[in-house]
Amino acid sequence: MYAVETPPAPVQESPRPPVTRRRKRGTGKALPWLLAGPALALLAALLAYPMGRMIVLSFQDYGLKQLWSGATAPFAGLENYLDVLTDSAFWAVVRRTILFTAVSVLLTVLIGLGVALLMRRVGKTVRLMMIVAMMFVWALPALVQAQVFKMMTDSDVGVLNYLIDKLPGVDFQNHSWFFTPTQGWIVITSCVVWAGVPFLAITLNAGLTQVPKELLEAATVDGANAWQSFRAIIVPILKPLLVIVTTLSVIWNFGLFTQNWVMRDGKPEPEFQTLATYSYVQAFAQNKYGLGSAISVITVLLLLGAMAIYIRQMFKIGEVD
Amino acid sequence: MKRKIAIAAALAASLLGTAACGSSGGDSAGTISADGKVDGKGKTIKVWLMVDAQSGWKSVVDDASKRFTDATGANVTVEYQQWANVLTKLDASLAGSDVPDVVELGNTQFPKYVDAGAFGEVKKDTFENSASWLPGLSAACEMDGKTYCVPYYAGARVLIYRTDLFKAAGVADAPKTYEDFIAAADKVQAANKDPKFGAVYMPGRYWYAAMSWVKANGGDIAKKDGDKWVGQLSQPASQDGLNKWVDLVKKYSKADVTKDEADQYLVFSQANAGMFYGNGWEQGSAEQVRKDPNDANSPLVDTKVKGKLAAAPMPGIPSLLGGSNVGVPLKSQNQELAAQWIKYFTDSTSMKGLIKANALPNATAMLDVAASENPALKVGAEAAKNSWAVPSSGKWADVEKANVLQNMLSDILTGKKSVADASAAADEQIAKILNG
Repeated sequence: MYAVETPPAPVQESPRPPVTRRRKRGTGKALPWLLAGPALALLAALLAYPMGRMIVLSFQDYGLKQLWSGATAPFAGLENYLDVLTDSAFWAVVRRTILFTAVSVLLTVLIGLGVALLMRRVGKTVRLMMIVAMMFVWALPALVQAQVFKMMTDSDVGVLNYLIDKLPGVDFQNHSWFFTPTQGWIVITSCVVWAGVPFLAITLNAGLTQVPKELLEAATVDGANAWQSFRAIIVPILKPLLVIVTTLSVIWNFGLFTQNWVMRDGKPEPEFQTLATYSYVQAFAQNKYGLGSAISVITVLLLLGAMAIYIRQMFKIGEVD
Repeated sequence: MKRKIAIAAALAASLLGTAACGSSGGDSAGTISADGKVDGKGKTIKVWLMVDAQSGWKSVVDDASKRFTDATGANVTVEYQQWANVLTKLDASLAGSDVPDVVELGNTQFPKYVDAGAFGEVKKDTFENSASWLPGLSAACEMDGKTYCVPYYAGARVLIYRTDLFKAAGVADAPKTYEDFIAAADKVQAANKDPKFGAVYMPGRYWYAAMSWVKANGGDIAKKDGDKWVGQLSQPASQDGLNKWVDLVKKYSKADVTKDEADQYLVFSQANAGMFYGNGWEQGSAEQVRKDPNDANSPLVDTKVKGKLAAAPMPGIPSLLGGSNVGVPLKSQNQELAAQWIKYFTDSTSMKGLIKANALPNATAMLDVAASENPALKVGAEAAKNSWAVPSSGKWADVEKANVLQNMLSDILTGKKSVADASAAADEQIAKILNG
């Protein structure tokens, strides 16, 4: 460890470069910072401060008394983290959140890609209608989406039970969709996927317009079938975009809160808790702000893995352009 | 193009942020009196009441505010709150300096805030009827012999049933004993063959009901043993009560076991059940609904069960005394004015208004008035006299917030755990929270 951390030789200050070149490089470096300054300041205020505060909180024993009196909270060391990491309920929540994210993202990307490909095949009017319809879905706040799904799947007055019950030989009266976690999660996942498809479809559709027609025509001349040209031409061109939208979906779905919270009436059973709701309940319902923060910090660390791929891809695109 | 999409997407992602809370200090000591002259000219007090007041007895609120304004010259802004988020909202606002001057909370929620020192001590005898406040309400206000809030109204749960279905099934009267009740359920169930029909509507996460059955059988939720709380749900008496309730649900109820009682009167108004266990005012809510549920001033519309309902005390089952209290946050800048408003809002005049609106008054002295002036309240007033309260701990609200009892009930009814396993797990969680 120490061997590695020994300060490097003063490489930076070796041979003084010619004056003219140095000035040029100097302005070249300051300008981007200057331009990015306001945005960075905003990000620091909106993201860095709360993040920093959260990290500090996660090492404190912060409760209602501290919140109201403004008194300094006692330092708790790693206690919050130990509490969280040794709690079997927490690990169940982590597993559930990861499973949900994997399934919902896979479905969203596959369906989104399918719809995007379909949009290239249909006529202009139909495509426009598809875009408008998807914009409506996209424009709905998550809260409203969740309320609509909750109403549709209500056991007493839900339209879904009513319709399924109409099928001959099927008894779905008063069927409770949240009786088993599997069915409940199918409802929640459907809602999330339904709401996530428009962004993917429209973005990927934009990406598909970049696929040169000549390439596809050449492939057809060479005797490639539709699947082969999709694999060999469309997928490689779409890949950077696909990676980004997939990573974004992972980030969004990993933080699932509104849908399961609303569909379980703000009182999710343990089987319907995700990392976000679990952390919220600990922090704001139980007033253990330190513990809730520790869970959030762990969530952020878990997400960093996904973020790394995403940021790398962003830089790669920058280089290509 | 691609880059723009990517950057827009990145920005969108970063907007999913976190929240932080600021804080500030400052408090004052001394008892808040509601007596004496206060000049409130040019001042405005902010009052937080729950939505029930808005939908049930807004005129009582307006009248009390008017009498308050006439006496003190101060204005009143009433903000109606939702049960789902009032505590989170209160926590946040008490951390700042712009706090409400009067806050209503449920009687099971108050001890936590009294314990944490959020409310100012009030001078008890400056409020009317304070000598006979309902113990189930005022207990939540008291700590170490001091009073930190004022009882506002109560609710007791009763049996609400379909008179037409009882008659058709050959049940003459309201049940007098628990056996009568079960016999009536059997008859009503036998007379109605529709597979959607359940003789008793009892949603699975209705913990007030389940715990009343536990209490009826001599069980308890938790007991203090020395200075430690011990969960009592796995004790034999509690088990008997739980089993009795679970049997009732399984045999007679077609209600969703994953729902709680929040919308029970609405489901009941669809005429698919014979009886339900609810607050007295839920009878009226089941018979008539607002044409536009989002507009408290829209006309009332009759439901399918209009004129077919009656209420009776639930035989053999003591009721959890629900209800609300009002208090003055310690951080309020207008404590004296706030206490004066509470004085008008909880005096006999206001209580008579509440009685008209089918809510139970805050004092035993008024219960008899309620029973004689409003026949619909007779049953509830009786039930209020035979009532029980949740464990008196400052941490009880956390047990409710953690949904321990609801989760226990759904674990049992969805077959995930046996009654014994689920109640043992709940005992452990309750003890952990109350002793934590």
